[in-house]
Amino acid sequence: MSTPRPARVIDARYLAPPEPFEATMAMLRMLEPGETLLLRLFREPHPLYRALARGGHAWRTELLSDGTFDILITCGGAAPRDGEA
Amino acid sequence: MRAALSFDSAPPFAAPLRFFLTAPLFGVLAGLLLAFDGGDALASRWSPAALALTHLLTAGFMLQAMIGASIQVLPVVAGASLSRPLLVARVVHPLLSGGALLLAGGLRWGSGFALESGALLLGVGIAVFLGAAVVVFRVRSTSPTIRGLKLAYVALGVAALLGILLAFALARGWPFELVALTDLHAGWGLGGWAGVLLAAVAYVVVPMFQLTPGYPARPAWAFPLAVLGALVVWGTSATFGPPWLVRLAQVFLAASGIAFAGLTLKLQAQRRRARADATYRYWQFGLAASVLALAMVASATLFPALARHAAWAPLVGVLLIIGGFVSFIAGMLCKIVPFLAWLHLQQLARTRVPSMNQFLRDDETRRPWLAHVLAVVLLAGAALLPVLALPAGLAFALACGWLGWNLLQVVRRYRRCVATVEQGRADDGTPREPDDGAA
Repeated sequence: MSTPRPARVIDARYLAPPEPFEATMAMLRMLEPGETLLLRLFREPHPLYRALARGGHAWRTELLSDGTFDILITCGGAAPRDGEA
Repeated sequence: MRAALSFDSAPPFAAPLRFFLTAPLFGVLAGLLLAFDGGDALASRWSPAALALTHLLTAGFMLQAMIGASIQVLPVVAGASLSRPLLVARVVHPLLSGGALLLAGGLRWGSGFALESGALLLGVGIAVFLGAAVVVFRVRSTSPTIRGLKLAYVALGVAALLGILLAFALARGWPFELVALTDLHAGWGLGGWAGVLLAAVAYVVVPMFQLTPGYPARPAWAFPLAVLGALVVWGTSATFGPPWLVRLAQVFLAASGIAFAGLTLKLQAQRRRARADATYRYWQFGLAASVLALAMVASATLFPALARHAAWAPLVGVLLIIGGFVSFIAGMLCKIVPFLAWLHLQQLARTRVPSMNQFLRDDETRRPWLAHVLAVVLLAGAALLPVLALPAGLAFALACGWLGWNLLQVVRRYRRCVATVEQGRADDGTPREPDDGAA
């Protein structure tokens, strides 16, 4: 990912649902607008995307060769959203 | 405060549930038909009973479960929501149910009218579903799952068209190459539709529910395209090309399936969930049976003398359709139905609800799984020893009935929890927490 790795990372690749969703939303409540959070999963979290869009957050997703989806979330919609990702 | 799951686009529980509860009933019917028909049913892939059994399982059990699962997972795994999922389910479910019954009846008792009307009902049901599922073609393929879903739906359309053509050709005696057309229909149905849909969903649910590593991106992107590409080569070569190209495409398809199964077994070996649950057990068995079946397909393609043994094709069918696909679906149903019950209850209650495992305990799934394994062993035996057809059919009916009973228990426990929550609202305006005993 071209963006520098943020200090806050939720590695949810081995967490069962709904833990990744809950952990991400809890972390976002602690962030200031413009701060970033990296969520790592083995799937694209479309329900989370909808919650992020409703909350005015932005995100950018990259699929890595090992099957990890890196989702860089910017709190408060300070960066452009990654299309319909 | 707990964050509420994003729920706005989830279809109502009733939309997929009717398909999930109907699927095992087709398995029960198939088992009873085999028990009733006895050894002749598996004597050849072309016997009326074998054709009826095959379609009770593919157009009945499998199609019901896979359409129900599609309605449920499209918003979750592809971000594509059907606009009116409950209406789609209400229209598609009776069309598919009636169509599969008529088709199987037409094949079993040689009724051209039942055959044609069954194929048409199935065709209309599939067309209505595909018309609704066209939303997935409007989203970008940002993951191998989305690409897989799109290609699986294309394959479903092709398989359905070939099936309708075959039904009319059989009923009216049209001069087609029925064997080649049937093989192609089976290839698009089992490989292109069922196989690719299974892989597309597995990319998400195997890591999610079994806590395995993810599927590596490159093979995950390639598998759906490889399967559809091989099917196109097979279809065009069967008409215009040399026969060896048809065989090459068939071997390539079988090898692709074995590679997918091998990769899934490798990922499961690295899972972080220490305890084996129902889904894991069904999938391990299904993957082993599929590898065996696909190895037999590849062997018979390379050495056609093998396929001339009357038991060869029925054995492949038992291992691939019942040992493989029915196992995968049964394992998924044991996980997805309790998960949906938990999800919908959480949304309704907006407070603590019983855990997913309390809707269907692991010990309740163990004996139905053993019954399923026993049924597959007996069915495989029945392909070789016709005397086993009666116990094999009864064992399979029992295994499917047990699965259906377990799913009904989940619904019963869900309804009891919903009643507790609503009673609390009626009493004091706040939803009451359903305790663990309520589930």
